[in-house]
Amino acid sequence: MPAPNPSSVDSAAAPLVRVRGLTTVLSGQKVFDALDLDIERGKITAVMGPSGTGKTTLLKHITGQMHAAAGTVLVDGQDVARLPREGLYTLRERIGYLFQNSALLSDYDVFENVAFPLRQHTRLQEDLIRNVVLTKLQAVGLRGAARLMPSELSGGMARRVALARAIVFDPMLILYDEPFVGLDPIALNQVLKLIRTLNRELGITSVLVAHEFAAVREAADHVHLIANGKLVASGTPGELAKGDSPWTAQFFGGALEGPVPFQYPAPPLAPAFGFSGARS
Amino acid sequence: MKQLAVRLFDPLLDGLANIGRTGLFLLGLLTALPRGLTYPRELLRQLWFVGAKSLIIIMISGLFVGMVLSLQLYYTLSIFGGTSALGTVIALSLYRELGPVVTALLFAGRAGTAITAEVGLMRATDQLSAMEMMAVDPMAFVASPRFLAGVIAMPLLVAVFNLMGIFGGHLIGVTWLGIDNGTFWSNMTSNVGVWKDVINGEWKALVFGVFISLIAVYQGYTAPPTSEGVANATTRTVVSSSIAILALDFVMTAFLM
Ligand SMILES: Nc1ncnc2c1ncn2[C@@H]1O[C@H](COP(=O)(O)OP(=O)(O)OP(=O)(O)O)[C@@H](O)[C@H]1O
Ligand SMILES: [Mg+2]
Repeated sequence: MPAPNPSSVDSAAAPLVRVRGLTTVLSGQKVFDALDLDIERGKITAVMGPSGTGKTTLLKHITGQMHAAAGTVLVDGQDVARLPREGLYTLRERIGYLFQNSALLSDYDVFENVAFPLRQHTRLQEDLIRNVVLTKLQAVGLRGAARLMPSELSGGMARRVALARAIVFDPMLILYDEPFVGLDPIALNQVLKLIRTLNRELGITSVLVAHEFAAVREAADHVHLIANGKLVASGTPGELAKGDSPWTAQFFGGALEGPVPFQYPAPPLAPAFGFSGARS
Repeated sequence: MKQLAVRLFDPLLDGLANIGRTGLFLLGLLTALPRGLTYPRELLRQLWFVGAKSLIIIMISGLFVGMVLSLQLYYTLSIFGGTSALGTVIALSLYRELGPVVTALLFAGRAGTAITAEVGLMRATDQLSAMEMMAVDPMAFVASPRFLAGVIAMPLLVAVFNLMGIFGGHLIGVTWLGIDNGTFWSNMTSNVGVWKDVINGEWKALVFGVFISLIAVYQGYTAPPTSEGVANATTRTVVSSSIAILALDFVMTAFLM
């Protein structure tokens, strides 16, 4: 492990991820505006929010794939943006990331995709690699698909393979970017169960970006609701479901009107359609 | 007026900026190259992909170019009554000029575009980000082996092209046009210098290999993550490579040969 852990004093109690004053500007839009949030160790934390609100962007900040205009992101006490490449890569070896679009390597079959992190970072014997990979594939129900190429998989299957790949190292933190999209109810429940098992039995801290509140309610210990670049609500799923604030009322109640805008920021409608407002 | 000037100079400035960015990319690539060498299997895969799979098109093209050269040069030489020099002229044209240049143009079209499209698609489907997330540097794992494979493959392909060209030239010159077999070979071997002609041609091949591979990998690596972006990048690979090849060919011929 590189660099002594600055927060080692109270590292067991301190949040695994600590975001402070995070401000991000992408293509002229302020995605985050001084965002503060914590991800507790050993818990499943769901991050919810309207589409385009920056959930994927937040995960990219946590893994150091994107740098903020201001603010800090501490993961396990390390300032991600300040880490040199080596340190960042060592940190990433301990983080599993499930991409929104799976991102399987098209050159390799399912087995090799899952084996990829092992082959890159360990010198394990071939039969040991085989055991680990097949165990993970079994866990996502795809051991039989080991020799298929990514182009031969359905979207849901590819997602499960990506999940197997993300957990092949038994990481300390897993980031799931919309793991349920495109899964049938059976696969959804399997993945949900898997996420819970990984968390409960291996103690892996999990960040779950998802829109399915029913699933989130079953799995998550804590929910962060992000909108307009801020953390607008935070609590257990039960607390948020009560809908005390206008944000939660709209988001979880599904009301059409409310503080969460449906429209991407745009100039007024009338001029855009060529009406000059006052028609005499 | 200012508008016009801007319109005229914009592409020029764009081009210059692009050359600068490609240069910076080359620096990054060279830094990653030693780590790229730790993936020998990738290098072999890419050598197979860009080298072995370009072999057929290079061989066929070499054969036809040699055959045409033979016909055209026989006609020209016969004006001066010097058809006995046919072997020499064919070999010199191939080794010094046509071998490296035609092979490079074919290589850019066959292998360069494939590299750009493949790397561009890997970018568009988040595969490069996925590698970064798995603590594998795509510059070392994806870019370096492809670059290196192109650099290694080009001189070998040029050698094959030249051999096929001479074979084609011999086929037409000796069996069709009736030039004496002994004259063809002895004239050629006594006038073609290994260092002056053959090795200098291979230098060209190496330089073209560096530029084509660099452009192809750079365009793929930086392609916008859309189908349109990848398509445009592929086109730019062919256009930029071809211009670079022809311009470098002039410079190298003028100053080195
Ligand atoms: N690479 C980028 N360049 C410019 N803008 C970007 C980029 N990535 C994201 N954005 C912008 O940042 C905002 C947040 O995007 P992000 O992908 O994080 O949203 P999201 O919350 O994950 O949405 P979804 O639920 O649809 O996946 C969007 O407005 C998007 O336009
Ligand atoms: Mg997203």
